[in-house]
Amino acid sequence: MKKLFDKENFVSRGLERGKKGQSIFIIVLLVLIFILGAFVFMNGLYAFADIIGSIVSGSIDVALKDSMRSWPLILAVFMVVWLILLLHAVYRNADEERRMKSIFKDGICLIVFGGISILYIVIMRIAGVYKSLVEGSPTSIYPLDSFIFGIAIVALGVLAVLYAKKFKEQVPYEVPSRGPIVTKARGLYCTFMSFWLLIALFGLSGGIYSLFIYDFIHGYAFFGIAVVIAYLMNPIFLCVWEFYYNDLKEEKKKEFLLPLSFFALGASVISVALYMISLGTSLDAPSNAGFGMFPVAFAASVNIATLLVVFAPLIVSIVALIKGILARKAK
Amino acid sequence: MKKKALFLLVPLMSVTLSGCAEGIKYEEHLDDYVRAMKYHENFNILQLTDIHWNANTSTLSSKQYLNKTLAEADAHIKATYGNDAKIDLVELTGDLFMLANAYHVRTFVSFFEEQATKYGFTYAVIWGNHDRHGLYNPNWLGAQFANAAHCVYIEPDDNLYGRSNFVINLTTDGTKEAATKWQIVNIDSGASFSETAISPFRDYDYIRDDQVDWWRKEHDKVGDGVPAIAYYHIPQDDNLKAWNAIHKDGASYKHKFFKLEGFADNGNERYASKFIKEGRNHNLKAAFMGHAHNVDWTVDYDGVVIGLGVKTTPELYFAHVDAKTEDPDMKEGLLSVGITENFDLIGASLVTIKNETTFDLEHLYLNERADGDFIKWVKW
Repeated sequence: MKKLFDKENFVSRGLERGKKGQSIFIIVLLVLIFILGAFVFMNGLYAFADIIGSIVSGSIDVALKDSMRSWPLILAVFMVVWLILLLHAVYRNADEERRMKSIFKDGICLIVFGGISILYIVIMRIAGVYKSLVEGSPTSIYPLDSFIFGIAIVALGVLAVLYAKKFKEQVPYEVPSRGPIVTKARGLYCTFMSFWLLIALFGLSGGIYSLFIYDFIHGYAFFGIAVVIAYLMNPIFLCVWEFYYNDLKEEKKKEFLLPLSFFALGASVISVALYMISLGTSLDAPSNAGFGMFPVAFAASVNIATLLVVFAPLIVSIVALIKGILARKAK
Repeated sequence: MKKKALFLLVPLMSVTLSGCAEGIKYEEHLDDYVRAMKYHENFNILQLTDIHWNANTSTLSSKQYLNKTLAEADAHIKATYGNDAKIDLVELTGDLFMLANAYHVRTFVSFFEEQATKYGFTYAVIWGNHDRHGLYNPNWLGAQFANAAHCVYIEPDDNLYGRSNFVINLTTDGTKEAATKWQIVNIDSGASFSETAISPFRDYDYIRDDQVDWWRKEHDKVGDGVPAIAYYHIPQDDNLKAWNAIHKDGASYKHKFFKLEGFADNGNERYASKFIKEGRNHNLKAAFMGHAHNVDWTVDYDGVVIGLGVKTTPELYFAHVDAKTEDPDMKEGLLSVGITENFDLIGASLVTIKNETTFDLEHLYLNERADGDFIKWVKW
């Protein structure tokens, strides 16, 4: 156990003082944007889930009307995901040229998404879809808040593009580490990682929201605690992977993958077991004690979303375990 | 020893944390579930249901629709019963929200408080399945209604299933102690539940046996002969049984209005509620609910009128009624209401307690249109 946290195992340990400060700054920024992203994601998911509800119920006209009104909320999810990708590109990319290209590309995407959102709100206001710039729902100042968010995103995109252009030749920020760039089954890898990112965003906002919206009284305390743990497992696993595993030196990554995956598997099995036992004690709890955390599942009256969130860490740890066994064999 | 302690910890925790909130025993606190209002002839109860404010709702537009509905109901009541008549009670029968947040709840409560002052009504709130489905704590939502000046909402910390079950006794002088002429029963019909911890699907909830027992006791307290009207959200299996009795077995129950989708009830005989059956022994005159937006079908089922209210506001989904339809259920509905043009199945329902034994029911279809709103009242 002690071996796992030996300072000498980490790439960031070898960085100079100034570069280390830069690295910490970017990590803090990344975490803050991730938290912001989690809430934006939940907002977008709420709007999206209601639209899906209308479609499933056969009211395509209502779905269209709603999506016209709430498009900036859904667009905001894309913006914030791209912002995470951009910061991630700054934080970790061994290939400098690739890094700058990535920052430039993600910056352009932010400008485009932010620009579309701003333009869309202006057009919809002129067209009368929005009766006022502060007509309300889901916040008291919607769509003005989305308009301001769009401006902020465009500004960040412009900054990213200028940064990439200015430091094209001389990179002012040293990258701590990054695993080898995946070439085999890249599509599958990217899909898995994107899906994991979305689940982790949902898990984080779910975990935080649950603390406030769960009914921890009326006999639902055990279920509430089990749900909060299950939700938070997702972002915790992502953080361990990003900030611990990816910061390990190459040889240590190979050495630690298997024991880490065992830890992860153990933790996720306990989390799933806790959830199942708690559900067994109050079978109405998912819909009575804080159903807000299962937006899409409710529309279809199935447990899929719940199970997806609960089982995601289990899937991640099994994938890590297989990877660890294969790496051990390759040795 | 440590391992043993860990093995003991989980079951112990589950027992401790899931069983620590029993609260009061309803059997010993029946008075805590009672509010009183003054009875008079032509007592008007307006049912609004499935308003469904959500992340996509323009609260501005929705408030405009609700304003029109309340104004139309008020005008209709005054035209029918004289200028002194008004909406006495608004029954909000669940799914007021879905995928909503604290902003929606605060705006909703403040809107209804304004309207209550303007029209002089009291409003009662019943939980729907989707009201639990938002970014707020359900206890907080309950507190918003409990603290609203014109709202009747009771949520004791008790051993009774559901968040809020209560009765409004219409008494001779408006106090709880006076003789009750009618009893308005408000029941939380729940949301959904998993049959087991590993069930992939959830079943819609139903009115549980303890809720039936509670109401029976509340009704016994005011006297067996007192007529009652119940409001709850999720239809119970009686609606479908009545529909099948008419359409499959040829029974001749009086029935009217539209059934353009399933009742979205639990559907499992194992979970069939005893409420309506028990109600027949307790002078239950009628039970009104919501939940299935494309249904306002009402039937006199062996002495109890059972019907869904008209969905209020155009949120989530609602039926477009086509006057030239070939659909047999839509045709049947159109024939029953005598409307010959296209319209949307949204509006409100009005119950008027005429005297100490009888009541009237009317459905209002109100559609906002650019060339003048469509407004139609249809009598039961």
